[in-house]
Amino acid sequence: MKKTLLASAAIALASTAAFAADGIPVGHLADLTGATASVSKPYSQGVADALKYLNAQGGTGGKAIAFETVDYAYEVPRAMAHYKKLLDQKVVAIQGWGTGDTEALVSFVAKDQIPYFSASYSGHLTDPNGKTSAKAAPYNFFYGPSYSDGCRALVEWAADDWKKKGGHGKAKFVHMGDNHPYPNAPKDACGAYAKEKGLEILNPIQYSLKPGDFKAQCLSLKESGANYAYLANTSGSTISLLKSCETVGVKTQYMGNIWGMDEASLKASGEAANGMVWVVAAATWADDNAGMKLVREISKISDPSGAEARPVHYMRGVCSAFYMKEAMDIAATLPGGVTGPNIKKAMYQKKAWVPAGLDGVCLPSGWKEDDHRGTTQVMVYQAAVKGADISMKKVFTADIPRRTEWLGW
Amino acid sequence: MTSNLLVQLLLNGLIVGTLYGVVAMCFVLIYKSTQVVNFAQGEFLLIGAWTCWWLVVDAGLPFWLSFPLTFAFMMAFGVALQMVVLRPLIGEPIISVIMVTIGLSIFFQAVTKWIFGADVQPFPDIFPVKSVDVFGLQVQSAYLMSLGVSVLIMAGFAWFFKYSRMGLAMRATAFNQQVAQSLGISVKSVFAMAWAISAMVSALAGVVVGMVNGVSGALSFFGIKVFPAVIVGGLDSVVGAILGGLIIGVLENMAEYADGQWLQLGNLYTVAPFYVLIIILMIKPYGLFGTKNIERV
Amino acid sequence: MISTSLIPCGQYKTSYAKDTTLFETPVSRAFCVAGVVLLLALPQLGVSNYHLTLLIQIGYLSIAALGLNILVGSTGQISLGHAGFFGFGAFASAWLNNKFGVPVLLAMPLAAVMTTGLGLLFGIPAGRLKGLYLAIATFASQFILEDFFARADWFSGGSSGAMAGTASLFGFDITGDRAYFYVVLFWLVTMVLLGSNLLRSRDGRAFVAVRDHYLSAEVMGINLTKYRILSFGISSFYAGLGGALYGHYLGFVSAEGFTILLSIQFLGMIIIGGMGSVMGTLMGTAFMVLLPEVLEIGFGGIRAVAGDVAWLTSGLAYAKQASIGLAIILFLIFEPDGLVHRWKLIKSYWKLYPFSY
Repeated sequence: MKKTLLASAAIALASTAAFAADGIPVGHLADLTGATASVSKPYSQGVADALKYLNAQGGTGGKAIAFETVDYAYEVPRAMAHYKKLLDQKVVAIQGWGTGDTEALVSFVAKDQIPYFSASYSGHLTDPNGKTSAKAAPYNFFYGPSYSDGCRALVEWAADDWKKKGGHGKAKFVHMGDNHPYPNAPKDACGAYAKEKGLEILNPIQYSLKPGDFKAQCLSLKESGANYAYLANTSGSTISLLKSCETVGVKTQYMGNIWGMDEASLKASGEAANGMVWVVAAATWADDNAGMKLVREISKISDPSGAEARPVHYMRGVCSAFYMKEAMDIAATLPGGVTGPNIKKAMYQKKAWVPAGLDGVCLPSGWKEDDHRGTTQVMVYQAAVKGADISMKKVFTADIPRRTEWLGW
Repeated sequence: MTSNLLVQLLLNGLIVGTLYGVVAMCFVLIYKSTQVVNFAQGEFLLIGAWTCWWLVVDAGLPFWLSFPLTFAFMMAFGVALQMVVLRPLIGEPIISVIMVTIGLSIFFQAVTKWIFGADVQPFPDIFPVKSVDVFGLQVQSAYLMSLGVSVLIMAGFAWFFKYSRMGLAMRATAFNQQVAQSLGISVKSVFAMAWAISAMVSALAGVVVGMVNGVSGALSFFGIKVFPAVIVGGLDSVVGAILGGLIIGVLENMAEYADGQWLQLGNLYTVAPFYVLIIILMIKPYGLFGTKNIERV
Repeated sequence: MISTSLIPCGQYKTSYAKDTTLFETPVSRAFCVAGVVLLLALPQLGVSNYHLTLLIQIGYLSIAALGLNILVGSTGQISLGHAGFFGFGAFASAWLNNKFGVPVLLAMPLAAVMTTGLGLLFGIPAGRLKGLYLAIATFASQFILEDFFARADWFSGGSSGAMAGTASLFGFDITGDRAYFYVVLFWLVTMVLLGSNLLRSRDGRAFVAVRDHYLSAEVMGINLTKYRILSFGISSFYAGLGGALYGHYLGFVSAEGFTILLSIQFLGMIIIGGMGSVMGTLMGTAFMVLLPEVLEIGFGGIRAVAGDVAWLTSGLAYAKQASIGLAIILFLIFEPDGLVHRWKLIKSYWKLYPFSY
């Protein structure tokens, strides 16, 4: 009895000592155990590894970036509660994750003036001053094309593909996803653009973010006769959907959003994912260029053997962390030092911005005071799966026009 | 065209409904024998699926060996669970028993996620022929196997309860515990046996679903679907449980059909069974085959 | 010798008021008042924001758990759908504030009244069901309510949720945890007093009669249906108020905060605390809220000692969830009457020392 008391007292003491951090505090939210864990794990690993690597290189302005990866399991209330803790720690920026918490925190980070680098690429986060969307998002940034732009690129590819295949009449397009802010984000914008491109929009089909048996939904999909199905969920449930639909015998071209597919999911889906196209916004592990060499170095921080092949999301996490760090470098030169508003100002300083050392990995991006669309370039990759042979290659690059009415949509 | 979809959905519902029926049967088995409402039924599926997956993938054993090993493990697991957790609660009010099984359900969900991770793990292909054409619907071989095994199990259950000594002992205990005890039936072993059988059969259902959809935490949802099935069929009727499972399976798919064709709500597939549950509770609280509980002062 | 701190054995009550008093001895009343005064002074004493957050959480969860305790502990009706009512209160308060501009401090009790309406509605069919069937019906109602929150754009903002405004008193914005703490404390003290009073009133005694032996209660003339429905209504009021406080505290309400896990946590709170007792509710809620925090400290400590063990870091969220289930199971096996029973045993040990056995 006494021994356990002493042991627990020692642990309690040790834990309080562990919190002695000195440096610039930054928040890091991740979903390691919740509905989107399968894609959040590699992304947040990328962010964490990149920040640790940057700290090893001297941090920003000589100070380390003090962060702690906190798992909020995709439950918005937990993210909100943790945000209050971060306010106490006086963070100057936050590396966030999902649509749920990002949407919830938009007005709070605007009020508290903390730049929020999310992994949610929701269209209306691109409207800082609330010109076209209902909510202004002045302090939200993300690296990569928005979900709406990604979906528009897929629609362009679909229209192209339909012509190449010699399809008669209008191609049928259907949006599939859960009733949740993240899958819902591009629904309206993409549907409007699809109509513009001459596709016929069918009634959307719902399938849960949690993996399960989707044969009923696949039967509905088969019945609808859709030619192109946009899958708006993350890879976890998309794998189940592809497998269920393969069994049912659905003949549809699947198009996935940026979080809908990656190398690991291709392995899990098997031949069900053959021919699927999806959005990619950074280099892949198979690519070989100067930037990827640096990424392999960064990967060694959590994988010393260097054997692990990182999925596509890892690279985007690295890019997000690097952009934030370079903005902090610029902010350090501004009067007031590294503060939230200064980091926001710093984000507008560069055009066609690629972080130092990451050439060929991150798409050149530039943010403007009234336009938070970092990049409107979208790469579309297609998967080829034959037995155990898995490969993916770029089939299309879209340059989505920067229409003013598309800002925030 | 749409009638073809209807037929296919109906078929899909019957196939999935058989699995629901099997799980509902296990639930009723426990309730009938031990008067315990097992909220952790879905977790039996989960643990069975993960055990089989681990044996096949990580331990590298062939499937024809892993399958029976999973059964043996689940039997031991069911008995252990009953002995450690449920026995101290014999005689406690029903709310305590319900809460214990709920607590078990949460505990197992969290522990399996901890050990095996939150990702969906695909089951390696066991059958040489992946799927078979039935009335235009592609039915996976795993489901056909489950259909065959489910029918065998139902027949086995029927034989067991009618003709075997242990089965008779269980029925006697379910009818009146005290009288059964006074006749020399070991109520303790009856309880343990009930849990063991329930765990084993649920594991079978879990392995089948895992083979088709991949093993993940979503298997627990089967344990939640079981409630509409047993309410429709009657909490203490094995036949009712099977029928209830089939009805719920078909209902889900019909709801999806109605949703897709006319209503466009998007979620009827998931929520329709619960509406039906409430309606049945209002109209026929003891289900189709349950025994009416006559209260005596 | 009868001292002011010992309750004498035998009946020495000389008036009806003395028999139904909430506090048995003057000392226990003094302790309670001192406790409230201490809580009032806490924000000024410089306690950290983090601890304040924990106390606020205990506050609004206790209010909802107290409602559940009245329903389950005192009336014997098992409800697995409490989180649905909690969520309804949160959404209703945000909706009243956003749609109709009702000031937040007024919207909160109004939302509780709206939730009472919903609870009475659910109570009507529930009055016909008993025990197990009621548990299953409320289980289903939890999923139905959850689905309703995700669908009803006009009410809850659909799947994106709704913003909940900040409270303001006479134009003075109540921002920050320190100020909000007082709002929660006010409602907590009020609801605890109301709850304790309910249990000693006529209706409260009727509830207990319904729980203990409903056939006899009916024979004695207690209208079972009326009291069952009333119990649902009252517990929903508590749940709605707790939910409204929660919603405005977070500033944002979304459907995924009100899952079956929350319902189970509420039930866990009252079981661990002790069913049918107000003090038990407070103790149980405090236990449930502090358990994940203790785990986090423990894991952090182990991490500091043993280094960054992989399964430990990924496992913290799972450990928190597993601990809830494990706590419920262990308490039910070893301490079925809850913490309040253990507390009474400890108290009597010291009171009767050295003759405690």
